[in-house]
Amino acid sequence: MSEQINPPSMITSGQIGYIVGGGLKANLQARLTVQPQSVQEGAFVVVESNGWLFYGLVTDLQLGSTDPRFADEHSASRLPPQLANLLHGQTLFTNLEILTALMMAQGPEPGTPEYDAWFQQVIDEQIRPEPVKTVPQHHAPVRLADAGDIAEIFGREGEGGFFRIGETLEGGHPVCVNLDKLVQRSAGIFGATGTGKSFLTRVILAGLIQRDKTSVLIFDMHNEYGPDDTASDTGLRVPGLRGKFPQKVRMVGLGRGATIRGKVPDYSLEIAEADITPDDVMMLAGELNLRETTPTTLEALRSSFREGWFHAFKHMRVHAKVENEEGKLVPAPDSVEAWALGAGVHPGAAEALHSKLRRLFNAEYIVEEPAANALQQMIDNLDNGQHVVLSFGRHETDLDYLFVTNLLTRRIRQVWERRTNDFRSGHQGAAEPRPLVIAVEEAHKLLNREMASQTAFSTIAREMRKYYVTLLIIDQRPSQIYDEVMSQLGTRITGWLGDADDIQSVLTGLSGREALRGMLARLQPKEEVLMLGWGVPMPILVHSRRYDDAFWDELKGKPASRSSDDILEELGF
Amino acid sequence: MSGIEIGRLLRSGTTGFVVGCRVSQLEAPSFGALVRVPLEEGYQVYGLIYDIHIDDDGLVRQLITAEEVPEEVLRDNRENRNVPVEIGVLALGYQEGGRIQHLLPPRPPLSLDAIYLCTPEEIVSFTGAGSFGYFRHILRDESKPVDELLAAHLKAAKEAQQAAGNMDWMTGALQELIALQRDDYQGLMNLLRAAGDIQA
Repeated sequence: MSEQINPPSMITSGQIGYIVGGGLKANLQARLTVQPQSVQEGAFVVVESNGWLFYGLVTDLQLGSTDPRFADEHSASRLPPQLANLLHGQTLFTNLEILTALMMAQGPEPGTPEYDAWFQQVIDEQIRPEPVKTVPQHHAPVRLADAGDIAEIFGREGEGGFFRIGETLEGGHPVCVNLDKLVQRSAGIFGATGTGKSFLTRVILAGLIQRDKTSVLIFDMHNEYGPDDTASDTGLRVPGLRGKFPQKVRMVGLGRGATIRGKVPDYSLEIAEADITPDDVMMLAGELNLRETTPTTLEALRSSFREGWFHAFKHMRVHAKVENEEGKLVPAPDSVEAWALGAGVHPGAAEALHSKLRRLFNAEYIVEEPAANALQQMIDNLDNGQHVVLSFGRHETDLDYLFVTNLLTRRIRQVWERRTNDFRSGHQGAAEPRPLVIAVEEAHKLLNREMASQTAFSTIAREMRKYYVTLLIIDQRPSQIYDEVMSQLGTRITGWLGDADDIQSVLTGLSGREALRGMLARLQPKEEVLMLGWGVPMPILVHSRRYDDAFWDELKGKPASRSSDDILEELGF
Repeated sequence: MSGIEIGRLLRSGTTGFVVGCRVSQLEAPSFGALVRVPLEEGYQVYGLIYDIHIDDDGLVRQLITAEEVPEEVLRDNRENRNVPVEIGVLALGYQEGGRIQHLLPPRPPLSLDAIYLCTPEEIVSFTGAGSFGYFRHILRDESKPVDELLAAHLKAAKEAQQAAGNMDWMTGALQELIALQRDDYQGLMNLLRAAGDIQA
């Protein structure tokens, strides 16, 4: 198509089309006046109408014709090329479907002093875009958003908590996320394996650490965030957070003598047996295949031994018999059976539980007397504005991950809850707790339907920022995460997802999800992400920021390195 | 104003008129040519020739049935006919007070008014005024060979406009015709094929 139908009087600079239909409930329809290839799904567009700007996303492009026969017949073979072009320009067209999300009164002309003052009011949220409550008029011009439009909606990099997460697909204008707002509610980063999820997470974590308003605790199951790593696809070195923030980030290994990719961590975490509660064990019901009788047995253990139940149970013998005075074989006093009979518990159930807990008994990071109170040290670090990466080292099984993350999170949340209550009640001048973000990989293992009601994670997700603790969920199977938790997530940043259930899950509770569904399935892996939810003013498709040396130079405020060509040119060659 | 007189008005109405002319005048008018009828001071009607009609009379019928009619008799009968050649003209607009309007004329020409072929300058003035509003008068009357009539007109007008340096006129005219006719697929395709023939 060489041209498109267009009322000549309506053409304005940068215009790509004009409104021809749609409504408030349905998406807007716009007639495209440029080549269809110059606009892509997900493009951020602005509709100008009577002093209002309507901001929206292109969710579909449809080929149309004034009469189906103009599309069916290959008229180019029957008419001279010039005539065929004229005919196609008038009878064949492309319609854009636009999901409008926000509207705002048009500000002063960019570049004027009035605009600068007005823009500052927008950044300060004195003037803010509102949800769309009306429609633009017919033939209102549609144009691609420029850098000013993007900044008006998503903020300007470097101002306040605005952090560049990537660029728009068309024009490459910077798109920011407000980190201060992002951490006010739990957030999620999703994407199938190999879609750049970990790199995007690194970018956001680096932004949060640099911003330094929030402490971050990262459960690093696969040892990829703390130490330097090597990208599995490119083979290039990937800097870890510990190396880039040596003063701010503490790397903690699980178990005494742990090394993380050959590096000795700052300190090691060991879990005291006395810290383990029956609830911690019950959360492993699925993983350990525990029976229905387990809660009763655990409760009896707790009653018998108090805090020392785990230690006592661990050291009981199984099937141990001794001869009594009458020469009969009876359960040995230190056996599971003897304790069970004394406590009124079925011996078979107790022995079965003992057998199933053997994996925990053998965990080398669970000790009677930890060498140091690493848990308290982690809390102190987080309190002092430092950030902690807990690397699981060689303890990469699901059991290790579920057990340790649950136990730590429960303890840390209790501390933050107590401090929050002290602060709110004005208890002895208690200080306001420092906000904490807990980053959780493989979140579906902790927040699935079976586990969600029991773990501290789901409680945190529901509470939002009440106790100054929020989650950053990183997962590849969002459909496995409990709906109630998903619906509480404020901001969702998602890469390509192939599974229909995963897509459905990410879009839970959002308006316009039907239009966004197809967009999610067609994201370019490792390149594009869709940002949506409470933390961003409107959904937007972003060409995600690269996690490379340039990223670190920009984050740390170093001047961009010059290419050899630039240097030679400067020298006059 | 100048131009070749092609005849005088036989009968007229608001939407068109019929011109009578002698056979000796017949070399000038052609199908699709733009003509004008000057009426009073500053007022003239424009039209497009859509039909050139030669009627028979009693003598022609006799001559056709006769045998061995001498050549001079045939020529005499052709050149000195009793019945004039009739030229059908479709009214397209008018000029009044120097301004060209692509509207039907408020008053039709009267009998025996002289009709002139438009010069290239007049064609440029009339077809370049406004935005092709006169096309609707042509497209309205389906009893006429609209495709061929438009093709003939476009050919003449294009030549005049291009000679005046207006190289984009034809593109604009075709765009307007497509916009007007795009709801009539077959009609538009016929029109474009005819237009394609004149472009070839």
